[in-house]
Order: sequence, then C-alpha cells, then structure tokens
Amino acid sequence: MMRTVLLFLFTFTCCISSYSQEYKCEDGKVKFISKAPLNSFDGNSAYLHGLIDLDKNLIDFYIDLNTLKTGIALRDSHMREDYLETEEYPYAEFTGEIKNLNRVSASELKEGLTVTAIGEFKIHGISKKRSITGELKLNANGNLILNTEFPVLLKDHNIEKPSLLGYQIADKQTVKINATLIRQ
Amino acid sequence: MQHLFGNNYSTILTVLLLFLVSISHAQLKRERVVQDQEVELTFDAPRLINLYTTEPLNKNDLHWSIMHTFGELNNGIQNLWGIDNGANIRLSFEYAPSNKFSITAARSSLDKVYDLGIRNHYLIQKKDNSMPVSVSSMFSVAVNTNNYKFLDNEAPAFNERLSFVGQLMISRKFTKKLSMQLSPMYAYFVDNRAIYLTKSKDQHHPALAYSIKYTAFGKYSFTAQSIIDLDSPENSNVGFGIDIETGGHVFQLYVVSAANLNDSYLLADEVDRPFQSLRFGFNVNRIFTLGKSKK
Repeated sequence: MMRTVLLFLFTFTCCISSYSQEYKCEDGKVKFISKAPLNSFDGNSAYLHGLIDLDKNLIDFYIDLNTLKTGIALRDSHMREDYLETEEYPYAEFTGEIKNLNRVSASELKEGLTVTAIGEFKIHGISKKRSITGELKLNANGNLILNTEFPVLLKDHNIEKPSLLGYQIADKQTVKINATLIRQ
Repeated sequence: MQHLFGNNYSTILTVLLLFLVSISHAQLKRERVVQDQEVELTFDAPRLINLYTTEPLNKNDLHWSIMHTFGELNNGIQNLWGIDNGANIRLSFEYAPSNKFSITAARSSLDKVYDLGIRNHYLIQKKDNSMPVSVSSMFSVAVNTNNYKFLDNEAPAFNERLSFVGQLMISRKFTKKLSMQLSPMYAYFVDNRAIYLTKSKDQHHPALAYSIKYTAFGKYSFTAQSIIDLDSPENSNVGFGIDIETGGHVFQLYVVSAANLNDSYLLADEVDRPFQSLRFGFNVNRIFTLGKSKK
C-alpha cells in the first residue's frame, strides 16, 4: 500500500516538473473601447495577469479593474465607484481551456495560430460562459504572444449605464488584449 | 520497516494532499495591483450646499459652479415662495494646478463681493483604513465692491471692505452611501458696517460646521448642513437638500437659512431662528478636464 502511494507521488512529481509548459504574464495590455454617437473613449491597463498552461490545457486571466484609466480622472472615479463597483468586484477574469488543443502542434504555434478558448468570463460578480477567439504565437524566445478582441455586453453583467445626461456609453464594449506570456 | 512506515504514514498522506491541492489550485491567485486604494467620491462635488468639501479636483480640472438663493419661503404663494424676489448668485471658477491644490475666483451678487481663495488637500482617506479621514483646508479673501453712491457720507475704503475666511475640512466616507464632514471655520471682517449685507455685525466669526451626504438611490443623495456660531451657539445656519449626480453636472437643490453665498459673509449671516428664514437655493456644478487627457 505504502509503496503504491510513494510510487504515485514520485510519478506525479516527475510529471509536474518535466512536462510543464506554463506561460505567465503580469503586464499584459488590456484596452476597452466604448463607442457612442457623441462620446467615444477607451480605457487602458497594462496589468493583465495571465497563465496559459498547455499541458493541463488551462487558461486563466485576470485584471485588477482599479488599474483601468480612461484619461479623465473623474470619469475613472465614477467608473470604479458607480458602474464597475470595484470595491466589491475588483477583478475581471476569464478561466477556461483551448478547444482542440491536442490537435495543435508546436510548429503551428510558431507560425501563429487562431485558437478558441471556452470558459467563464466574469466581471461585476456575474459569470458568463464564453467562447473567445484569439491568436497565439510562440516567438523566437520561446514566449507565447496572445492577441484577442471580444465584445462585452454591459447588460450581460448587470453593469449599469449612466442614465441621465453626461457620459454616453454603448451597451457593447470592445475589449482588446495583447500580452506576452513568459515561459516558466 | 513496517513500523517506520506506520509512523510516517500521516506525513506522506499530508504531502500527497498538498500536491493534490497545488494541482487543483493551478489558477492564478487573485491579487490587487493597488493595495491602499484612495477613497473616491466622498462627496458629489467640491461644494455641498453652501460649503466647500474635501472632494479634490484632479490636476488640470476646472470646476465651474453657479450658486443661487432666493427670497424667504414665508413670502408665500404671492411671491412664489421667494422666487419672485430674484436670485442672489455666486459664480465661481476653481482651477487645480495639481491634485493637492486649487485656486478659486468668484463673484457673489450680494454686496458685489469678489473673492479669491485656495484649497489644499493634505490627507486622503484610504479604503483599507490605513488613513481613516480626508483632511483639506481652504482660505479666501473677499472684497465688497459695492460703490455705495447712494450714501451721503463717504464710501468705505478698500481695506475696510475686506473679509477673510479659513476652514479645515475633515471628512469620512463611512459607507458607500454615507459621508460626513466636520469643518471648524473662522471669518474676520476688517470693518463689518451696518450697511453691509450681513446679519451679524461682529468682526470675528468662529464657527463649527458639519455636512452630511446620504445617497438614497442611484444618483440621488440627501444632504444636510449646519453652521454653528461658536460665539453664540444658538445662532446657526441650516440647510438641507438633494444632490443629483448626472455624470457631467452635479445639481444641488436645497433650502437654506442664509441668503449669502460666499464663505465669510455666510458666517456673518447666522441667525437665532434659522428655520424661520429658510429659502430655496440651488447650485450647478460642472467639472471640465483641461489640457491633454493622459493615458
């Protein structure tokens, strides 16, 4: 019995250390674009934290929403306090897996490959199952570059829109992500 | 051998469990980038009813405000509860060269008072409570520019028209909805003449003011304010109203006991029966972002 346990443990340790294909970043770029007839603006952050593990087929990204800046400090304050409510819901996050990862080869990754991630996207405390398409590319240094763009509907996540005069915000926000994940 | 394993059985299991835990928790640990986030939007605007708040402007912001008070409500329906008496108006511009400091220039219609002031921010409340309050100060000089041509005797000299006011503002956002501010204030009139439109003719006006904002629903907040004369505590100014935050403008509708709108005159306008001289008033606040918006 004990021998089985030890053997199991040993095998597990070997698996983890030798086959890990983990890529991580803490400085990915996120941009959201808000387009409205009279008032278009964008918000940016360079604090996207991400993990792509090709072995376990795990994708995990999050951003501290307090780091988003739209260029107008008062608008940022209202965004944090009244709309995203970052004190209660500080993060936007996505956790999921890459569809058909077992069919992806290393050489394909080097050339840049369009992949689809399926998982849960959560912001403002509300999760939605999403399928998000983006490009993954393995660069010369062995790091993984991710580029993606996807829409987020405010009403999906129960994010209020300013209702009186003032800012104009469309329900559909476009989110763009550009991150270089470093091989661990 | 059997004995040895027996002893370590639990240890091995623990190690194994730890491994399993570390595998199942392969997701990234969520950590905030900004740990000691500053408390924001303690008040809707740099003004609440009559008084300045600790709410700072950001660098290169211009705060434009126009404040009004009307005649006393007890004028009755014949004068539309004071509206027919016309408005006293204060127009002000406040510009912030930095996040910690702003300059105000304003003109009030009663006694045609021009005032020039500064507002400083020393401490800002933190969400993790490492700083429990926000602390700011303001100071301004006001000059009465009424020409007094209607007087038989000589009009007051320039220095006799001056008044000064300073205040310390200490505020705390207690909950998402409730904010309060305590403000020790002091005003000094070089020569508070009978002809000036102040109710109390004292030269010195120490006062203690408090302001409360309670967000009732959405963008609507109830506000209340009282300015107590420390020389004669039965005298005070009171005000209560609602703030409407529209995203671009902040509208503040209220009833107050003082007709005056600039700070030094306000302290000389305290009365012993404030609830008998209530009048309607409103402020419109707008903050413009000047210069290039920074990314």
